This record gives sequence, C-alpha cells and structure tokens, in this order.
Amino acid sequence: FCPGCRALQPPGPRPDLFRLMDCDRSFRIDAQQLQRRFRSLQRAVHPDRFGQRPLKEQCYSEQHSSLINKAYQTLLNPLSRGLYLLELNGVEPAQETDSADPVFLTEIMEINEKLAEPENEDILEEIETLIKVKQEELTKEVTAAFERDDLQEAKKLLAKMKYFANLEDKLKNKKIPS
Amino acid sequence: LVGAPACGDVMKLQVEVDENGKIVDARFKTFGCGSAIASSSLATEWVKGKTVDEALKIKNTDIAKELCLPPVKLHCSMLAEDAIKAALADYKLKQDPNKEESEKKA
Repeated sequence: FCPGCRALQPPGPRPDLFRLMDCDRSFRIDAQQLQRRFRSLQRAVHPDRFGQRPLKEQCYSEQHSSLINKAYQTLLNPLSRGLYLLELNGVEPAQETDSADPVFLTEIMEINEKLAEPENEDILEEIETLIKVKQEELTKEVTAAFERDDLQEAKKLLAKMKYFANLEDKLKNKKIPS
Repeated sequence: LVGAPACGDVMKLQVEVDENGKIVDARFKTFGCGSAIASSSLATEWVKGKTVDEALKIKNTDIAKELCLPPVKLHCSMLAEDAIKAALADYKLKQDPNKEESEKKA
C-alpha cells in the first residue's frame, strides 16, 4: 500500500514467496504461523474488499491475492516447498530419466499395479497407510538434507517424493465414488 | 524400468530377443499421463521385428513426431527412448550365448 494515500500498489517483480509469507527461507516451517499470515494478508488484499476502489487497484488486488494463494500452497506442501527452495538456491529439479535405483522404481511400479487393480477394499487402506508412512519418512530425510545444506541429496529425495505424490493423487481419485 | 522424476511417471519395457539378436516380442506397462502411455506403446510396436542394434537407433524425436506430441510432453518420448535403451542394455548384460531365447526387462 502507498504510505501516502493508502492506495494499493502492484506486487513487485519476482517476489520471494518465503519473504512474502514472513517465513525464514528454510524447509522447516511453522504451518500455523503460515496459515495466520495467509489469512491476514488475504484480509488486506482480497478483491472482495476492493469492489468500490478504482479499477487499477482492483486489478492489483487480484494479482496480490493470486500471488498469496500461490505462495501459501507452495509453502504448505513439503514437495513444492522443497522444490521451490532448490530453485531459490539455483539447483534445478531432477530432469533426467531415472534408471539408477531399480529397487525403488520396482516398488513404485508394484504400488501402482496394486492401486490399478486392487483385490479388495483393505488393499486400498494398506496402500494409503504405506504412502503416508513413506511420505513422512521422506519429509524427515529432506528436512535433514536441507539442514546440512546437502542440496543434491535433497534433490534426489524430492524426486522420490514426486512418485509418492502421484500415487497419493491416484489413490484420492480411486476413493471418489464415480 | 525407468522413471521420470520431473513428473513421477514410471515405465516398464520388456523385450524378448531370439538367438539372432532380433526382438521377437515386446511388452510395456506405464503409469503416467496419456503421452507417456502412448510413447511406450509406440516404442513397443516399433522394436518388434528389429534387431537390437536397429532398435537402439530409435530416437525420442521420431516418437514425438509420430504422435504429434506438444512441446510440454516431449520428455515422455525421451522416457520411452530411455526405456528401450535400458531394456537392451539389460539384455546385453545378461546375454548368455548358450541360451536360445532370453527375456529381458527394463
């Protein structure tokens, strides 16, 4: 906001999402604090509060509000938070085909197969638990990697998390009655 | 068995090679987007009847062109090319000259 006339200004170019959400640039975050910050920011800039303002400000309000949504979603989810941190540190996320860890890929393949053709309801529950456990494990490992500044290890672990995130999505779709 | 870390797709390509080094059968199983599934399906069709060396010449650009893949899905064709290479590398590694037929996985 402009200090003089209190009119809403446009968001700056290439904003740092951590700074925007008032969080330290680290993998560990306080989810409660993030949510509080998200809500208080939206209270200030949400388009609903700019209905009577000039069009330019309405436009800026939309931009701010979208940006805050994006920042919140990115930082809330461990996978996206990790990938964003890598990006900020100039490390590109894993792009090349993975053929190095056949044991891991086989495990992913098997879970996918079970999910595609579950023998019974219980299998779905088992898979759900397995995915959750694996994601928690990986999140802990990623936290440790970032803490000792081992970005290459974090990159590898985040790649593994991606496979489990996909499985999580597929599982959610399975549970929705069609 | 190959994976694409950027999108989390997994692709399995199996080939059956006869004693003359010709690929007589191929199977695929892919979990991922439509483009990934299509790329592996096409790769499977293309390797059948080819020799190992001929199959190794298949490029991701050929696959992408045949399927008219949009730029954002080009990596799927790359994954398929890598799956072919991985399957054949595995075959060469396990090649036992005394066997008549070998079934190799990647």
